[in-house]
Amino acid sequence: MLRRIFILTVGTGILILIALSCLVLPNKAQAIPAFARKYDVNCTACHMAPPVLNTFGQRFLENGYQLPGTEDGGFTGKKKLGDVTLDDVGKYLAFRLVGNAVRNWSFQQQNPAGADAGVVENKTEFTFPENFVLFAGGTVAKNVGFMVELGHDVVAGETDVERGFVSFNNLGAHNLAHVRIGKFDPSAFYSVVTIRQQLNDIGESTSSGCTPYASCSLNRVGLGPGAFATKFYGLYDRSGSAISPFASTLYNSGGEMGIDVHGRPFGDSFLYQVGVLNGANENFGDTNKGKDVYAMLRYDYAKSDYFAVNFSGFIYQGNSNVQVQSHQDVNWNRYGISTRATYKMVDLYAAYSIDRINKVPTGVIGNFDATATGETIGMDTYVTNSTLLSLRYDNIDAGGMMDQRTSASFIGAKPNSTSAPTLPSLPAMTLTCGKPMEARPPRGIFETPFPPASISCSKEAPYASPSPC
Amino acid sequence: MRRHHLASAVVLILMLGASSPAHAAKPDDNPATQAQGKVIFDRTCLWCHGVTGTGDGPAGRFLGRYAAPRPRNFTTGSFKFRSTPSGDLPTDQDLFRTVTKGIPGYMPGFASLTETERWQVITYVKSFSPAFLVETPVSLPLTGTATPLGPESLDRGRALYERFECHTCHGVEGWGDGPVAQAGDLRDVSGLQIQATDLTRPSSFKNGATLQDLIRTLLTGLDGTPMPSYASRLTGTDHDGWDLAHYIRSLSAESAP
Ligand code: HEC
Ligand code: HEC
Repeated sequence: MLRRIFILTVGTGILILIALSCLVLPNKAQAIPAFARKYDVNCTACHMAPPVLNTFGQRFLENGYQLPGTEDGGFTGKKKLGDVTLDDVGKYLAFRLVGNAVRNWSFQQQNPAGADAGVVENKTEFTFPENFVLFAGGTVAKNVGFMVELGHDVVAGETDVERGFVSFNNLGAHNLAHVRIGKFDPSAFYSVVTIRQQLNDIGESTSSGCTPYASCSLNRVGLGPGAFATKFYGLYDRSGSAISPFASTLYNSGGEMGIDVHGRPFGDSFLYQVGVLNGANENFGDTNKGKDVYAMLRYDYAKSDYFAVNFSGFIYQGNSNVQVQSHQDVNWNRYGISTRATYKMVDLYAAYSIDRINKVPTGVIGNFDATATGETIGMDTYVTNSTLLSLRYDNIDAGGMMDQRTSASFIGAKPNSTSAPTLPSLPAMTLTCGKPMEARPPRGIFETPFPPASISCSKEAPYASPSPC
Repeated sequence: MRRHHLASAVVLILMLGASSPAHAAKPDDNPATQAQGKVIFDRTCLWCHGVTGTGDGPAGRFLGRYAAPRPRNFTTGSFKFRSTPSGDLPTDQDLFRTVTKGIPGYMPGFASLTETERWQVITYVKSFSPAFLVETPVSLPLTGTATPLGPESLDRGRALYERFECHTCHGVEGWGDGPVAQAGDLRDVSGLQIQATDLTRPSSFKNGATLQDLIRTLLTGLDGTPMPSYASRLTGTDHDGWDLAHYIRSLSAESAP
């Protein structure tokens, strides 16, 4: 019997991510702060540190890009031309470049090839920022808001609508119901928002030449903004491509088509959110088999003492028709709780999620773990006026095919230097050390080997979730 | 003759406090208005100013981080943007102007609240400080008569800028880089480092950038900051305030507001 051996050389490991904000090179990604310009305030009015929102920024977002407690969409930032009030488009547009203008490489020089062990050389080259994002957001009229976000991947030459939605706000009564329609991030109001993380996406690295329904060799585990979302190994999309266990999915996804309602009708402390989406991520080759539904409830305490805390929990019922090895479809549900506290200039957050595959396909029963869990604990804090320190610990106890499944832990640290408070700063450079990882036995045994000292380090530009300031 | 009449009419209209007049009937300062104001405050202002008005709202620290400004503590009764003498409370019109226009860089303008709502929230803001119960703030009159913009006025303004030693904080060119500022010695009342304003960027002026706004800033000073009041030096002079205001405006290429 010919049986393919799928080896995922991903290991449990501690992946240490050190993003160095490079002090010398002109590598700071630039953003034009659209909302800040519209309201004539610094980004710090809404952001703890872009893209993470503070309490005021969250309320602004909740109110459909209108100042909290107001319904100002009708005229703020608009131009009056005779009887007509036009949108001041210049105040809506913003764009962001993510990546580096200069890139550093370390490599082993071998000259002539194979003649000696090689000497480590450093090389610097100019590059164009890998990713740029154009976005426009604001209000078209009182209580009607919108957001469009186009991302362009320079290397791949692809442009995507990352998000694009219209929101109808304060329906019925102030803060009773706000409706978003379009492609939006479901977790926008959750305590730990997937697309607003300080440590940005570090993609996993796989070996080339993956064939359909064969798992690729994974050289390096990734850290996604949705890493706290749990992971399944051994799932495939409709075309047979292995689904990265690190893709952000279900509630913790960047953008999904659907409709979503939130509000605070039971007083200021409780926020509800319910939504229906087309289905699993498009990356999953969703054929719209069934709609996904979710609900979230959040409790807020935010009054004084430079302190705010919130707790939230969600239930997501996924109809994602991904496949396991046997080509059978599976659906899965996700449940999560999370909390976030800010005190003065410290921002602490934690999230825990559980995924359960609803019906394990008969072909893989006994060889498939239907449950996966994941947790994240993080902290961002300003240690000086212009230095933001971000720390994050992630642990996934993965599910899926027993022979592929692996659990992993991550520790990330990132000092980030920001300039004047008027300029949002983005992580400049991410130094990722840690490949290849060691293979490890199925979960249960927790090992944390550090990457060997001699491995090569590549500097990668992180993907930063864009957010207008 | 006629010119003279016009000029005095201008002076009358431009009493310092009157630069952003409200049109809606101002509700009385009574408990009912205050209660309505509290509802608005808790939805809109609390995030920065805190539920007790002490400026310790959950988002308040992120604004200036380790530097000034922090959101105003309303319980101390000390305000920056007044038409009244240094140390006095602001008038209701002053507060209305601040809430309507906002504070560039730090607080959005709340023109989106109706005028009545703005008056209600101001009544509530005043209730944090008992001083408002006993004092009746009065605007300073605008000094002198408006001088036309011209080389003479600018020359006089420049001389005053030097004589009053504005450059020690704001720098010779007005870039906010005077020796005192560069030494990092400027602190606000809470001990936080504060920048001397870059006078070449009038759109960032918190207290407004029209000639009248500038004269108001110079006369009253910005309480709680190193920016002093020049009332004693400017009162009684005929055109010093206007000359200085013209000069400040001339430091920038931005068009007049
Ligand atoms: C985004 C944060 C923020 C919000 C929201 C906010 N403020 Fe402020 N406010 C500030 C800051 C910061 C200052 C102090 C600025 C300075 O000192 O330069 C201030 C100052 C003030 C002042 C004092 C002005 C003076 O003359 O000293 C008043 C009055 C005021 N705010 C009223 C309000 C009201 C009323 C609301 C709600 C409708 C509100 N603020 C909402 C940040 C905010
Ligand atoms: C001791 C230092 C100091 C001196 C002297 C000084 N200033 Fe200032 N000034 C400041 C500081 C600090 C601020 C910023 C206050 C704030 O942001 O709250 C300021 C603010 C200002 C502003 C902007 C106010 C606004 O609306 O934001 C103007 C205009 C100004 N000063 C003009 C002058 C002129 C003209 C003189 C001389 C007649 C002068 N200053 C002298 C420290 C000084």
